[in-house]
Amino acid sequence: MDYRTLKSMKRTHPAWLLLMADHAPLVVSFLHHAFVDPNVRTLPRQELVSKLEDQLFHLREQPGEEAFPKNAEQYLDDWAADERGWLRKYYPVGSDEPHFDITPATEKAIDWLAVLQQQHTFVGTESRLLTVFELLRQIAEGTEIDPEARISELQRRKARIEKEIQRVHDGHLDLMEPTQVKDRFLQMANTARGLLSDFREVEQNFRDLDRAVRERIASWDGGKGALLEKILGERDSITDSDQGRSFGAFWNFLMSPARQDELTSLLNTVFTLATVRDMEPDPRLKRIHYDWLEAGEAAQGTVRRLSEQLRRYLDDRAWREDRRILQIVHEIEQISLAVRDQPPDGDFMALDESAPTIGLPMERPLFSPPSSPMINQNVLLEGDQDIPADALFDQVYVDKAELASRIRRALQARSQISLAELVEDHPLEQGLAELVSYLSLAAEDSDALIDDEQRQQLTWTDADGRQRLATLPLVVFGRQARSGAGMAVP
Amino acid sequence: MSVSDTADPFSLVLIALMKGVTYREDDPVRWQALLDLQPRVRDYVLVLGLELILDEAEGHAFLRHHQVDDGEVAPPRLVRRHQFGFRVSLLLALLRGKLAEFDAAGADTRLVLDQGEIAELVRVFLPETANEVRLLDNIGSDINRIVDMGFLRQLKCRDDQYEVRRILKAFVDAQWLSESKQKLAQYRDHVIGTPEREEESA
Repeated sequence: MDYRTLKSMKRTHPAWLLLMADHAPLVVSFLHHAFVDPNVRTLPRQELVSKLEDQLFHLREQPGEEAFPKNAEQYLDDWAADERGWLRKYYPVGSDEPHFDITPATEKAIDWLAVLQQQHTFVGTESRLLTVFELLRQIAEGTEIDPEARISELQRRKARIEKEIQRVHDGHLDLMEPTQVKDRFLQMANTARGLLSDFREVEQNFRDLDRAVRERIASWDGGKGALLEKILGERDSITDSDQGRSFGAFWNFLMSPARQDELTSLLNTVFTLATVRDMEPDPRLKRIHYDWLEAGEAAQGTVRRLSEQLRRYLDDRAWREDRRILQIVHEIEQISLAVRDQPPDGDFMALDESAPTIGLPMERPLFSPPSSPMINQNVLLEGDQDIPADALFDQVYVDKAELASRIRRALQARSQISLAELVEDHPLEQGLAELVSYLSLAAEDSDALIDDEQRQQLTWTDADGRQRLATLPLVVFGRQARSGAGMAVP
Repeated sequence: MSVSDTADPFSLVLIALMKGVTYREDDPVRWQALLDLQPRVRDYVLVLGLELILDEAEGHAFLRHHQVDDGEVAPPRLVRRHQFGFRVSLLLALLRGKLAEFDAAGADTRLVLDQGEIAELVRVFLPETANEVRLLDNIGSDINRIVDMGFLRQLKCRDDQYEVRRILKAFVDAQWLSESKQKLAQYRDHVIGTPEREEESA
């Protein structure tokens, strides 16, 4: 934290630059709304542009607000520029559209501002002190090599627990005070949120590790044998690093379904406590473990991809060919500069095509004279014929509820009734529309059966007095099925 | 033997190879069929004087003229060659170099350059000209030539962005670059004279 370092940081660190930016309120509020709040890891360009346009539109409407001169796309490209480093712009596999994500520096700046906003009348101390103790204890125990010391510590713990069991037995239930609950809850909330916001940095660390390995290989000056040895060690360097191990352990812990159920039930229990509810906690906290899963999955995907590609790069010795390639290209560049003003003309080099040439003469269509559209120069007049529009208003409305109650009534007398029999008892008054409604009821009803193999015929008289006949699959309505009783098809 | 809805996978695989490069990402099912039927494909195309080049790691496969061993008579070439001038050769070499740099720096995403960046890449090696527009037009037509060859791909949403396809590695390899360099060096010696000779005459 010395003067010189801070001076350079002020000029270059994206987080500091963001806080000092003129448009900081716009940038921070927008990026928080687009990425941090919904816990989104990546957004395609089109979506982000339209979100920013909405925001800018609203802001420009407000009187007294500065007019933001540039359009959304320009702002986004500006924020993703190397000098600023607030957004990361990249092409993911499988999409031609660039995607954006916030950088860890931006996330830190946003978090810091969010913390400033929180007003705690109460700063918890006891809970954090206990955590410090617990962590130190874990380290000490975990590194204890003397079995005697370990056993005596475990015995001490056992004695404490037994004493506590005795107390509960005797009816002394030690309940936590509201203050203690608040203290611990606040600490939990801060740690959980902090964990979530660290995932981007975890991903960035993985990317940096990958880059470092590739750089080491590209700039290796020593002998090939030593390099090969080094290579073999580097194959798993991403997953074996501190970051890799810690993240791996976290992921394994979180992925177990038992743990997730435990987290869900614990969170539910805690959130129902009166003390906690009084604190009006952020409801997102209740599902923080799902947010972790989403963020963790993104990081896990990155690790997997990077490790796979690194392994391939090393195994295929692509790096070796690349070094040679760069060298030759460099030499070509030198020579090209020398002949710059008199470049060779005519054909210079050749490359194989990517497949044998197959002439497809029949693929070329024969000439067909182009059809020119006839454009009629008629003037459109408004028609003033008095056509009776009654037909439009003559829609048939079928009351499905009425049909359903008809079916139920019929089923009171017998356990099954086919559609044909039903229609005999209640002739169709609204023709085909009513029939189709019956069919739709049958399709929705789980106690109805439609048998395609057998056919039924129905007749009815339509509004003009003509007899109509329909042949359709057998439809049988049945009573609500009780404990396994099957339906017999007649 | 059941009746299948689709054609014989061997046919599909061969026809695809006859039309151009087969990429795993375009059709994973067809790719898997190619992997399974590799020996049959190799035997089949050998008759036509072709060999199958399959890179499982990169996920691409194509047919190439089969180099016969010394002593055997080579059948006529079935695979044509693109012929192009110096500017296109140079641009291909520079793009290959850019891809190599990109791979050495990390490989999370794809290498995409826009027209301006490609122009910047090659500009310094082209003769000075006051006609900036013609220069950019020439570079544009070179880019189109390379797109036709299949090494650059225009992105769907922004037509001034080009992805450098990794298939470039299979065609513009160290050997081809060495040949280019040698040819260029010969040309330089012919036109300017080798550096040592220049010093002698100076």
